[in-house]
Amino acid sequence: MSSKKKCIAMLLAGGQGSRLSPLTKKVAKPAVQFGSRYRIIDFSLSNCVNSNIDTVGVLTQYQPLELNDYLGTGEPWGLNLRFGGLHVLPPYQAETGADWFKGTANAIYQNLAFIERYDPEHVLILSGDHIYKMDYSIMLDEHIANDADLTVAVIDVDISEASRFGIMNTDDKGRILEFEEKPAHPKSTTASMGVYIFKTSALKEYLIRDEADPESKNDFGKNIIPAMLADNRRVFAYLFAGYWRDVGTIGSYWQTNMDITGDNPEFVLNDPSWRIYYRHIHNRPTYFGTTGKVHRSICGASNSIYGTVEDSIVNDNVLIEEGAVVKDSIILSDCIIRKGAKIQYAILDAKVEIPAGCKIGGDKDKYEITVISNEDKLSAGQTVKAAAKK
Amino acid sequence: MKAAGLIFSDSYDVALNEMTKARTLAALPIGGRYRVIDFTLSNMANAGIDNVGVVTTRNYHELMYHIRGGTVWDLDKKRSALTFLPPYAADNQSDMYHTRLEALQTHRRWISRLTEKYIVIVSCTYIGNIDFDKMIRFHEASGARITALYTKNPMFKSGGQRLAKFTIGVNNTLTNVDIVYELQEGDAFGVNCYVMEVADLLKLLDETKREGKNNLVLDVLQPLAQAGEAVAYEAKETMLFMDTPSDYLKSSLKMLDRETLDELYENPARPIITRARDSAPTRYGETAVVENCLIADGVRIEGTVRNSIIFRDVVVKKGAVIENSVVMHDAVVGEGAHLSYSILDSRVVVNDGRFLGGYITHPFYLEEGTVI
Repeated sequence: MSSKKKCIAMLLAGGQGSRLSPLTKKVAKPAVQFGSRYRIIDFSLSNCVNSNIDTVGVLTQYQPLELNDYLGTGEPWGLNLRFGGLHVLPPYQAETGADWFKGTANAIYQNLAFIERYDPEHVLILSGDHIYKMDYSIMLDEHIANDADLTVAVIDVDISEASRFGIMNTDDKGRILEFEEKPAHPKSTTASMGVYIFKTSALKEYLIRDEADPESKNDFGKNIIPAMLADNRRVFAYLFAGYWRDVGTIGSYWQTNMDITGDNPEFVLNDPSWRIYYRHIHNRPTYFGTTGKVHRSICGASNSIYGTVEDSIVNDNVLIEEGAVVKDSIILSDCIIRKGAKIQYAILDAKVEIPAGCKIGGDKDKYEITVISNEDKLSAGQTVKAAAKK
Repeated sequence: MKAAGLIFSDSYDVALNEMTKARTLAALPIGGRYRVIDFTLSNMANAGIDNVGVVTTRNYHELMYHIRGGTVWDLDKKRSALTFLPPYAADNQSDMYHTRLEALQTHRRWISRLTEKYIVIVSCTYIGNIDFDKMIRFHEASGARITALYTKNPMFKSGGQRLAKFTIGVNNTLTNVDIVYELQEGDAFGVNCYVMEVADLLKLLDETKREGKNNLVLDVLQPLAQAGEAVAYEAKETMLFMDTPSDYLKSSLKMLDRETLDELYENPARPIITRARDSAPTRYGETAVVENCLIADGVRIEGTVRNSIIFRDVVVKKGAVIENSVVMHDAVVGEGAHLSYSILDSRVVVNDGRFLGGYITHPFYLEEGTVI
């Protein structure tokens, strides 16, 4: 067994995810449930394992309890290894003081000792809030072939959306000439996915320099990449052509969930060559009663369904009683939907109970999405009206 | 009051034919995502038993692949372990064992190294969510040398095989064991599940071996019963048997009964655990119809499924109709195909438009990997 890794991954999982509230009220964004059986972080972790990257540092900060429990020793992803594997890296107290992670770059800076322990030639930096299947080993090969100091994974986005992203302008060899964070007038549609591979030496150099600058926001997009471009370092773009979504908002979270449903889903999860691994809750298969109906939907395990489910995602251990109708909605784990309740274009947080006869939400073409938190108390027959579309 | 566990995983006294050709009964898939042994392993783990031996004789590849080190049941610990006990593992045994008692005699060495006071011995021939902790406490309070578990309601246990019928006296004393071939309603049926002290078991193994005896029921249980040193413990829990393909189908479909389903799986203190497969979640299509069925992960359903059990990663294509059937993992049911009272083993492919059917007493069974 060698005492060195070619490439290790650092997964940024500390963000608060306030735009996903109330789903992120007590849970870090990477631990939010997705696609009935998964947590958002499963996609990045599984991509690592499927790309032969077996050492992953997960940087946590906000509401880490459920995330830490979920990650455990990394066994569900095959990351419980003697040398390498999954390591949770929380903020810590050091001799010279204790610091929260100030920004994405600072989070990595504070964990340089972890990186050094594995002496990798390259470091892959990932976000814990993206839904995609990506083979990082292809990107790594290109990064090495280009002798790049930094390779930024990019995706071609619609010009109307380009100003939401970090936009790259490249030459015909893929070398990045210019980088603009969320430009008002984007010059291209090549958007950063927040997936970076650094040559370890370059990463260290720029992190140390960034840390010394009190004016810096300690952010990869805002500070590190512009600094490297300014120094004319070898920074390349790697174009990723597959499905990739940032599920940072309630709207994108809902749409991305829906992208896995239907007879020909836009994002196919049932892919034996690229399994997405997850921690199992060890429960029975889903039971459908004689009155149960389900169309164009995804349902997890241990559910009991006596009502109607259409165009929806139902997570695990959910009870949907007779006469209840769930349409265009996401029902997270351990929810109970009583007799005759109607749920339309809504997201139910985990452990929500909808009493009999309640009406939640409205037509998805006319109204905004309705989100029910598990702190909301509903009474039988209550109507929760959706807000009119803006 | 610590107990160790020992599981007989071979297919004793059953007539499952091709269903157990390449695997033992313990490794038989059941209930959408389980193997028969999952229930016994989970029952043991839930009773705090964490040193478990699994006796095997033949066809144990699928079983070993399924159980591995027992990690998912938390049986792979620093100070205890799940241990496979195959034949020829003992230094003094040159011959293959054929009976349960011979197997115990052969594995004397493993038993002698147990530090637990008691041992729970189970023949893995049924499924149920049995409270072994209660049975061990019953044994401890009884003062008897052996406690034998019985049920008065062995569901879907067909006759024709050798069955142990218990005669029970006052204070649950087991007074006699008869070998019969048919059970009458209300009979106490012994299921080859015992609690004993480890030290006493070792003594009995030495005695029976010296005397050339080889039958656990007739040479160990019966003499203890006649000497007034055995007690009988009634399992009130549902016990489902699967000695024939028809019994297997009946036991499987019994899980669609809500009470049975809840008893087996919805006890938070006694979960039934199985090995994960990391299947994607199940996708129900535009034309899916699902009524009174259990459907596992990784399935794609575009057809109709009624009164049936669908295992992981099965594909049910458009227009297919599955009724009163069991479809095991990775099987594909083609467009417009009809299944009725059928058991499809893993990786079976039923091509478009095929009509297959049996009857509840004679289900139509397709072997693993068959393409029809």
